[in-house]
Amino acid sequence: MIAEMARSAELLQGTLDLLILRTLERGPSHGVEVAQRIEQVTRGVFVIGPGSLFPALHRLAEKGWIDGAWTELKGKRRVKVYSLTADGRSQLTEERRNWRKVLLAMNRVLSEEA
Amino acid sequence: MSRFSPGRLSALVQLLFRRNAVESDLEEEVASFYQTLVEDYRAKGMEEDEARRLARLKFGLPEQAKEEIRAARTGALIAFSLRDAHYALRSLRRSRTFATVTVVTLALGIAANATIFSMISRFILKSPPVANPQKLLSVHLTHDGERCCNNFSWLTYRSFQRGVRSFSDAAAYYSVLPASIGGSGDAQRIWGEAATTNFFDVSQTGMTLGRGFARDEDDAAVVVIGYRLWRRKFGADPSIVQKRILLSGRSFEVIGVAPAGFHGLDLILDSEFWIPLGQIDQLAPNTSNRSSRSHHWLNVIARLKSDTSQTQAAAELLVFAQRMAAAYPDSDRGQGFLLQQAGSLPPRDRSMILVFLTALTIVGLLVLAIACANVANLFLAQTAGRAREMAVRIALGATLRHLLQQILAESFLLGFAGAVCGMGLSLWTTRALGTFHFPAPVPLDLRLSVDWRVLLYSFLLSTVAGLLFGLVPFWTIVRPLLAKGLRGDDLLARPGQIWTLGNLLVVSQIAMSLVLLSSTGLFLRSLRNAAAIETGFRSHGLLLLSVDPRLHGYSAQRTNRFLDELRERVSTLPGVVSASYTDSMPLTGGHRSEGFRVEGQTPERETHNSVDLYMAGPDYFETIGTGRLAGRGFHRENPAGPKMAVVNQAFVRRFLPGENALGQRVTGGGRTYQIIGVVKNIKSRFLGEEFRPVLYRSLAQDIADDPSSTGYSLLVRYAQNSAGLAEQVRKEIRVLDPSLAVFNVRRVEDHLEDAYFLPRLASAIFGAFGFLGVVLAGVGLYGVMDFWVRRRTREIGIRLALGATVRSVQHLIVREGMILTAAAFAPGLAGAWALARLFSGVLYGVQPHDPTVFILVPCLLAIVAVFACWLPSRQASRAEPLNALRHE
Repeated sequence: MIAEMARSAELLQGTLDLLILRTLERGPSHGVEVAQRIEQVTRGVFVIGPGSLFPALHRLAEKGWIDGAWTELKGKRRVKVYSLTADGRSQLTEERRNWRKVLLAMNRVLSEEA
Repeated sequence: MSRFSPGRLSALVQLLFRRNAVESDLEEEVASFYQTLVEDYRAKGMEEDEARRLARLKFGLPEQAKEEIRAARTGALIAFSLRDAHYALRSLRRSRTFATVTVVTLALGIAANATIFSMISRFILKSPPVANPQKLLSVHLTHDGERCCNNFSWLTYRSFQRGVRSFSDAAAYYSVLPASIGGSGDAQRIWGEAATTNFFDVSQTGMTLGRGFARDEDDAAVVVIGYRLWRRKFGADPSIVQKRILLSGRSFEVIGVAPAGFHGLDLILDSEFWIPLGQIDQLAPNTSNRSSRSHHWLNVIARLKSDTSQTQAAAELLVFAQRMAAAYPDSDRGQGFLLQQAGSLPPRDRSMILVFLTALTIVGLLVLAIACANVANLFLAQTAGRAREMAVRIALGATLRHLLQQILAESFLLGFAGAVCGMGLSLWTTRALGTFHFPAPVPLDLRLSVDWRVLLYSFLLSTVAGLLFGLVPFWTIVRPLLAKGLRGDDLLARPGQIWTLGNLLVVSQIAMSLVLLSSTGLFLRSLRNAAAIETGFRSHGLLLLSVDPRLHGYSAQRTNRFLDELRERVSTLPGVVSASYTDSMPLTGGHRSEGFRVEGQTPERETHNSVDLYMAGPDYFETIGTGRLAGRGFHRENPAGPKMAVVNQAFVRRFLPGENALGQRVTGGGRTYQIIGVVKNIKSRFLGEEFRPVLYRSLAQDIADDPSSTGYSLLVRYAQNSAGLAEQVRKEIRVLDPSLAVFNVRRVEDHLEDAYFLPRLASAIFGAFGFLGVVLAGVGLYGVMDFWVRRRTREIGIRLALGATVRSVQHLIVREGMILTAAAFAPGLAGAWALARLFSGVLYGVQPHDPTVFILVPCLLAIVAVFACWLPSRQASRAEPLNALRHE
């Protein structure tokens, strides 16, 4: 089961990055928010477990596209809130363009008459 | 794929240097994630327990998540290695005794090897500090196809320099040239070389200060001084060049300072100054001879042309030798040339030194191999005890690579620690060995150092060792675990199977220690024999003092007069029985020798006629204590009269067997002597030699045309004790000439101690190694038997419960151990036999296959083995049957 999850995360690696960047574009949020947001927006198509989410967040942070900072949540607990950096914003634009290209290409392939 | 952003760099830095901060950050983030999930569920109105359950379901294993984050990070590999090292450290700290024993064992093994290798590095691998050393060759003369070796005459050198095309140039030099420096008072004797003016060009030696010789300076009073002399005598004076210094009272202009580490091209002679060859007679009269082809006094070095190989040069020299033989049949017939890397071991001693170093290396590696086998065995037991831990880790998702990495991390860590400690130890041993005073009349530079080659060798050894004893347990324990998983079987309990890896290790250990111990036995017996060697003179109650009047400008007559006067003055001192003088003490490794023949007999091949020469004064034989057999000793012989000689028994046996030696005339070195006496044999050069023919000649008669290059020694035989005697003799010397430097003041007993250097060194080394090997092998056998007993506790319990006696159980265990020991004896004895053959050249009066050693050593080992098996067997038989059955 664990192995299965890891493999699908890898398959979706590029997509997952894009999803996270896009989610953070709407404003800084912590890990659970990011996961829930993606699950909501895709209506449960993408369910992101911590096993995939955390590595992705850390990878993006290392690349300098997002930035994590500890903040007090409603005065109760500390959570790490991630926000998009300027680099991340331009990367998002780039990836959007790429994704459209991929989408277009895929559609063409799939809609071609057999 | 991606640029290396500053974020990554800082992440890496944080990861590597602030691991704890990074880890706790991760910990907190994961925890807070989980907590948020729980709160969300709570917010939806769930009970606390239900919320937690759902959160945990959604979250999966927190450790797994953390692990994946760690793996995704930059520098994950380094972090993993660090973690392995960290983990290794932690698990080693848990078994501190094991770690200490391992590190100490390895350190001893590695120190032994590093020390031995530092000798190899110094004497075989290191090239002289000149540019392009591989193109610089030393050239020797051979005679009649004999292996080695003679110096060049001036004329042969000139023909060689002009006539051989393979070399761009060749230089000649005379070495071991003495001089006194520092004027009166604290006059000091130093040694140098006289060289042709192209010497520094051919050797391509760049100067630290100033320049080398100019081509037209053959007759100029100039000198290049050595780096250490410059620092020691002149305080590293930067303006030393162009100053004038006094060598043996003669003024020389300093033109250069040789580079640090350069002491000529000889490997061990410590030359400290260089003068042009034309100046040699200023320091050593009667040495140079440029008109004779048979006066061999020059060493030659030559530089190969860049496009010529040594083989091509050797081929050309074959032809050249034939041309020389045709042109000068009298002197050059049968003469050949031998090429060697400049600065390599002198060809004469090469094979003996090589044998010695090879033997040492083998023994050192044996010790290390035994140490490694021991550590591997310990490791095996250690890992077997942790089999369950490993199985758990496999079940939790650790891969084969992870486990291998972890085990290797431990073994490399141990190997590394062993290497570091071993290197520390070898720093000390090399210094101790290097400062030993070697019994030679000229200064030798025998300093050893731990250089980069030694470092590399040691770390390579430790890595190989670490790999070996790390892979052994991995192969035998972890791999089968992967299949057997968590069943928790005791994987090593395979009773009935005797050829397990652990047993093999013990067998090889015992075999190797048998080899070591046999060599030790041989060398110890050799030392005992050496101590009992009859030297042929009485060393007890004999004092030695040396002077070198020639360095102070004395003529032969004046030296003669001085020595006689001194002898007479010293003879009358209270407590002195007799006194005499000579040019060299026996047992200094060889002084002067010549080929001899009896007048009226046809000479045979020259090499068999070599006779050692000693100069003697009046009362010489009474003073040194060599018994006279026939004729008389020397009195005050007439310097201008017919030359007189006293010979030893070996001389008579060699040249005049069955004849009356007295009155016979013998010729050697261009001089003819009449035999006036025969004395008993002495050990002339080394303790271990067969008695050689020796000829004593009158110092007074030969000092003029064959002066000693190393000075003269006064011998004083005293009755009771030597306290204060040396000072009294010094006082007498000061009365005669206050400026004369006195050196080498010592009791002959101490001199003899030095002569025992080699046998003692060999015995010490082999003794230490042999002892180490036996202890290690004993510990190894004990460890294996102990382990064997512990893992068969249940079987022993059943045996005892079924009525076996304690004795029979003990018997069973000891028998098992003895089977291993016996199995080791065959290969061990074969190895010892082979090694002993190699040593035969350096043993004193011991047959390499000495029966005493080859019977005693296996017995001794068997006793150690019985003891090593008996200890654990006692423990096993004390076990209560019921406890033993409940075990596990």
